[in-house]
Amino acid sequence: MSGERALDQQSFDPRWLAGPWRGFRAAVGNMLGTRHGAAGCAILLLLVVVALFAPLIAPYDPLQQAQASLSPPSWQNLFGTDNTGRDIFSLIVYGTRTSLAIGLGAAFGALIVGGMVGMLAGYFRGAIETLLMRLAELFQTLPVIVVVLFTVALFGSSFWLLLTAVILAIWPVEARLVYGQYIRLRGMDFVAAAKIADLSTAHIMLREILPNAIQPVVVQVALDASVAILIEAGLGFLGLSDPNMVSWGQLLYVAQDYMTLAWWTSFFPGAAICLAVVGLNLFADGLNEIIDPRMRGRAGGLQS
Amino acid sequence: MNAMLDDAGITDRGDCDPLLDVRDLKVHLHVGDAIVRAVDGVDLSVRRGESIGIVGESGSGKSTLARAILKLLPNVEFAELQGEVRFRGADLTRISDGALRELRRRNGFSMVFQDPLGYLNPTKRVGKQVAEALGGKHDGVVSSRVQQLLAEAGLSDPAELARRFPHELSGGMRQRVMIAIALASEPALLFADEPTTALDATVQLQVLETLGRLHRDRNMAMVIITHDLGVVAELCDRVYVMRAGKVVENGDTIDVFENPRHPYAAQLIELSTRHRRGSTPAETKAALSTEALSSGVAR
Amino acid sequence: MLRFVLFRLLHAIPLLIAVIFVILLMLQLIPGDPVQAMVGDFPVSPEFRAAVTKQYHLDDPFPIRVYSYFVNLLHGDFGYSYQFQRPVLDLIAESAPRTILLTLVGFLIAIPFGVLIGTVSGTTRNRRIDHFWTSSTLIAYAIPTFWLGQLLVLVLAVHFGWFPTQGMGPLVSRAHGFSWILERAHYIALPALAFAVHEGTRFARIMRASVADTLGQGYIITARAKGLTRSAIIRGHVLRNSSPPLVTVAGYAFGAALGGAVLLETVFTWPGLGLLLVQAVRMRDNMTVVGIVIFAAIAVIVINLLVDLLYAALDPRIRSR
Repeated sequence: MSGERALDQQSFDPRWLAGPWRGFRAAVGNMLGTRHGAAGCAILLLLVVVALFAPLIAPYDPLQQAQASLSPPSWQNLFGTDNTGRDIFSLIVYGTRTSLAIGLGAAFGALIVGGMVGMLAGYFRGAIETLLMRLAELFQTLPVIVVVLFTVALFGSSFWLLLTAVILAIWPVEARLVYGQYIRLRGMDFVAAAKIADLSTAHIMLREILPNAIQPVVVQVALDASVAILIEAGLGFLGLSDPNMVSWGQLLYVAQDYMTLAWWTSFFPGAAICLAVVGLNLFADGLNEIIDPRMRGRAGGLQS
Repeated sequence: MNAMLDDAGITDRGDCDPLLDVRDLKVHLHVGDAIVRAVDGVDLSVRRGESIGIVGESGSGKSTLARAILKLLPNVEFAELQGEVRFRGADLTRISDGALRELRRRNGFSMVFQDPLGYLNPTKRVGKQVAEALGGKHDGVVSSRVQQLLAEAGLSDPAELARRFPHELSGGMRQRVMIAIALASEPALLFADEPTTALDATVQLQVLETLGRLHRDRNMAMVIITHDLGVVAELCDRVYVMRAGKVVENGDTIDVFENPRHPYAAQLIELSTRHRRGSTPAETKAALSTEALSSGVAR
Repeated sequence: MLRFVLFRLLHAIPLLIAVIFVILLMLQLIPGDPVQAMVGDFPVSPEFRAAVTKQYHLDDPFPIRVYSYFVNLLHGDFGYSYQFQRPVLDLIAESAPRTILLTLVGFLIAIPFGVLIGTVSGTTRNRRIDHFWTSSTLIAYAIPTFWLGQLLVLVLAVHFGWFPTQGMGPLVSRAHGFSWILERAHYIALPALAFAVHEGTRFARIMRASVADTLGQGYIITARAKGLTRSAIIRGHVLRNSSPPLVTVAGYAFGAALGGAVLLETVFTWPGLGLLLVQAVRMRDNMTVVGIVIFAAIAVIVINLLVDLLYAALDPRIRSR
């Protein structure tokens, strides 16, 4: 197939990078133009900075138990200390790493698994479609937290296992979304044209259809990340997350026994979870707004 | 009710003429980065009991014009929306929501839409949707009035029909239900936007006959928006020819048909009369539509 | 309608079988001693080991084990919990109604508020009042229910002492009739409220989108052209036509309520299915864990089936088919 070879060369052409990059810059610009998008970007940026520079930001070693236990918020301990005398502010700073790791890891994992399944099912149809989409439905039957809890119950609660369990539970949503996009796009003229031009199937799926399908998928990635963060926090709260990592949910688990004495043990970790989830949801809202201009701007609703 | 209308300067004096007077109406829309001048400075008037046709190809702005007059435009951002729309002397662009509602509810104006399936609520029985336009409680009086209206719109067995849902009716029946809804307010002015386009040829004729009968019997002014010159010739006293948001020709239907001044109108009429001599009804029908015309012009 | 019912059943039954199959498959993948994995963390004697092995066909190949499990399920046998020393089905039968009660009360609060906020928001889209509700629901939706539960306990139960901090009331109650209901209501108030905040904000967001969709329909223009008032249009056309997505989501959410209950019931020590599941996980009582998860799968699939049938029955276009 000569067409295929020509395309291989084309895909090494560095110029095509300019397209996505310019598109990305334009998208960021548009995002910052929406109220929700700008707020979401700001929160996410804050979290990423905190996670990356945790050792510089945290005043104490998070596991060091040198402080007085259960001391209230003060200049020494911004968010107070917990029952074993650890500095809650430092714990939260380091917990950002765990939350972002699980959030982004699970979201991208789900994107890859769900994306592949959705693409294959939506593009090829037929038996593959039936099989894959029924499989997605199968994994979607039980609530996400139950799937994760079940996996953790059977196999233990290391970080990687937890990550796998969350991906296992959330990929079907992504698969259905991508599937829908491919069903919608595969009948379009540009796909027909690409087929006549004898382009390879992989090329059509990845280079022709994917760029047109990507936007709602990115929204879902942000939402998936927020779900994953909530699930990790939930497992931590049940005392079932990886005991070797500092996590916001775990802090809430510990706080259960002490919060009547020390409200700060519960308040600040919970607020951190909220901040991350709100940030991701705002980000998704902003993206939605620039994708679907109908949602933008003008006052709407019911007219007289 | 009357107090509200009086406040708005709307009085039901029989001598107020013209009934509807539109001056320099402009509706400009954003479409992508461009601005589309859907309606671009239209003047139009309708006298009491008169029948007007607005013709033009699709995209000429005729439907937008009707929506703009009746304040039923969709909720989008307009690049420009201005002009004067006087109904019985009061400017509709300035009156309160309450006064506007009163005009729609009683003796003002109403509208028959092109696509009756989309414009009827799929989850409500037909009778209820007509009754709603009558206002008041749903009782025996209302339900007999509903049946009367359905019958007047040309539907047989209205009692049984009132209990059906829109999807259980044929296209022609739905359009008649729309007409019954529009008649409920005893309007002085009825707008019909492509009332027959979605229907089969035989049903089209029947619905047109019904509209003509209602126009005569009720002495109701009527504005028919269509791309079909045959409809205009059949029903309208006067005609406005629209193209690209502007009225390019207007006058008595016979005058315009015999003596078109604007080249576009001339082409339009020449083409349709030439084809009128065509042999089969289907051919004539195709020829009478301005869609055929515009492609002819392009050739 | 009959064809639709049959079609839906043909869809649901294989799905249910497949879900149970996957659950059992995962049980096979547990590393270590299968007997220990069955009964949980306690020492077992050789005779006991032999009995358990025989009862659950642990020495037989996988297909036979799955088959015997299915046969047991069909007889209503969800296995035996060696930790609780009771049949798993008994445990489920005891806890499930409590979870259902909590969910129902939560929905009773959540649905009216969700519909109200969503409708107000949708009919005033992008105006100031909509911005307020959109932002509020976004933030409320991000609050983890278990943390909200902790805060409610902290403020309303501990600080003000208006509500009990946990449980569902005394096991033996001396109250009767209305005061008994009042006593129970006192205990269910906080968990139901925390649940309702989360579900209610979700309903509000769905309702808003659905209302916005409905407002774009032609029949809304017809209603406006009839001269109906704003409230008549909302009552007569918007609410009814915007609610189907909400009915579906609320129905599905009811099936999935166990998910939310896991965390919420733990905060309030509400002795429902969720708390039972967490206890079983902590005791490594896998027989109970698997029983509950399978029960949850059955519940979700059956409720989703019922929701779809209800939906079809409500829509005149599907009903007449």
